[in-house]
Amino acid sequence: MTLETLLFMVFVFAVCIGGFVYSLYRSSKHK
Amino acid sequence: MKARETFASRWGIVFAGLGMAVGTGNIWRFPRIVSQHGGGAFIVAWLIFLFLWSIPILTIELSFGKKTRLGVIGAFSKIGGRKLTWMGSTVAFVGAAIMFYYSVVTGWCIKYFFATIFQNVIQKDSIVFWRAFTSSWQPMFFHAAAICIGVAIIYAGVVKGIERANKFLIPSLFLLLVVAAIRAMTLPNALQGLNYIFAPNLSQFADYKMWLNALTQSAWSTGAAWGLLLTYAVYSHKREHPVLTSTTIGFGDYIASLLAACAVIPTVFSVFSTQEYTQQKVMEVMQADNQGLTFIWIPKLFGNIPGGTFFLALFFLALTFAAFSSLIAMLELVTRIFMDAGWNRKKAVVYVGLIGFVMGLPSAFSLGFFNNQDWVWGLGLVLSGAFFTFTVIVFGPGKFRKEVISMPEEGIKVGRWFEIVVWVFLPLQFLATIIWWFWQSYSADPQNWLKINSSSSVGTVIFQWSVAIIVFILLNKIIAKRSDRETNDA
Repeated sequence: MTLETLLFMVFVFAVCIGGFVYSLYRSSKHK
Repeated sequence: MKARETFASRWGIVFAGLGMAVGTGNIWRFPRIVSQHGGGAFIVAWLIFLFLWSIPILTIELSFGKKTRLGVIGAFSKIGGRKLTWMGSTVAFVGAAIMFYYSVVTGWCIKYFFATIFQNVIQKDSIVFWRAFTSSWQPMFFHAAAICIGVAIIYAGVVKGIERANKFLIPSLFLLLVVAAIRAMTLPNALQGLNYIFAPNLSQFADYKMWLNALTQSAWSTGAAWGLLLTYAVYSHKREHPVLTSTTIGFGDYIASLLAACAVIPTVFSVFSTQEYTQQKVMEVMQADNQGLTFIWIPKLFGNIPGGTFFLALFFLALTFAAFSSLIAMLELVTRIFMDAGWNRKKAVVYVGLIGFVMGLPSAFSLGFFNNQDWVWGLGLVLSGAFFTFTVIVFGPGKFRKEVISMPEEGIKVGRWFEIVVWVFLPLQFLATIIWWFWQSYSADPQNWLKINSSSSVGTVIFQWSVAIIVFILLNKIIAKRSDRETNDA
C-alpha cells in the first residue's frame, strides 16, 4: 500500500465521518 | 386533522433515515461497483454526487413530508397541486413494487444467516446450495417470515415499532461492519485490496461511465427519491432541519458503504493471494452480479479464512439487519398512504402485509421474475427523482426554498444554492442518466433493446412504467380525493 493511497483512504473516511459528526452536531445545536 | 405520532427523540429520525438508506445495496453493490471503476477516482465522483444529487433530493423529500404531514401521494398532491397527484402515486407504486421483491431478498439473507450456523454452508458447493435453495419452496417461507417480522414492527407504531427497531438495528449493523472490516483488513495481503479501493487513479476521471455509475450508486445507496424519507419525515419534529438531517443520513450511509468495501475487497484479495493470485480472478469475483457475489462467492471466500463460519454468519447477520431496516421503511411508505386515506394503522398494516406477501410470491418462486422486477423498478428511482424535481419546479424552487424548507421562526434558512441545484444540476443529471442508459442499451443489443418481453431491456422498463403512469393518470381524481382524509394514528 503506497503512502498516497493510505492518505487518500484517511481523507475519504475523514470527510465522511467528519460530515456525519458535523451535521449531527449542527442539528443538535439547532434544536 | 388529528395529531401525528412523532419520533420520541432526536435520534429517532436519524436512525430511521439511516435504516432506510443503508440496505443490501451498500453491502453487495458498492464493493462491486467501486472495484469495477478505478477505486479512488470513483470515490471522488461518488462523493461529489452526494452533494449534487442525494442530499438535495433527500432535502426535498424531508421537506415534503414535514410540511404536509402526509405520505407520498398526499404530499405530491399538496405541494404540486391535485393535478400532479399521479406523480406521487407513481413514486409510491415504485416503492411498493420494490418492497414486493425486497422482502424476498430479506428472506434470502435470513436463510443464509441460519444456514451458515446450522447447515455449514461454508463447507458446501455454494453454487449447488444456492440453486437448490432458490428452486425450492424455502424462498417463499423466508419471504413470508420477513413480511411477518416487518409487519409486527410497523404494527407497534412509530415510537414503539420503527424507532425502537432502528435504534437496535443500526448501531448493531455498524458494529458488525466495523468488526468485519477489521477482520478483513488484518488478513494476509489485505493491504493489496485496500490499495485497489483507494488508489487515486486520476486517469479514470476522463471516463464518463465512471461518473454515471457514481451518480446511480449514490442515488441507489442513499435511497434518495424512493419516498421513504418523505414518509419518515411525516413523524419528524417541527424543528427538524431538512438539510442537516439529510446530510447526516447521506454521510452515515456512505460510511456504511466504505466499511462494506473494506470488509469484502481485502477478503477477495487475501484469498486469491494465497491461491496464485491473479488480477483476472479478482475481477471475475467482483464482476459477478449482486446475487452471485453475495450468495455464491462470499461463502466460498469465507471458507478460506480462519474463523470463516463465524465471520460469514456475522456478514449475513449484517446483511439481514440492513435489509430489515430498509424493508420496514418500504412497509411504512405504503401503510402511511392507507392511513392518509382514513384507515387506522393496525388495519392498514395487516392489509399491506397481505398485499406484500401475495405480490412478492412470483419473485420468491422465479429468479427470472425477480431480476425483471429489480431491473424495472430499481431504475424507477430515476423517474421518481425526476418527478420530485418537476414538482418543485412547478411549485417554484425559490418559493419552495423560502416557504417549505426554510422556517425563519425556527431558525432554518437555506441559501440560493438550492435553486441552482433544482434548476440546473438535478435535471442535467436526470437527462444524462437517461440518455446514457438508452445509448448503452441500444449499442449492446440494437435488435432487442426495445423488446417488451425481455427480462432486462429498455422496452420492458418503458412498458411497465407506462402502464403504471397511465393507470394513475386515469385514477388521478379518485386518488387525489382520498389522499388527505382525516387520519387516526392509533
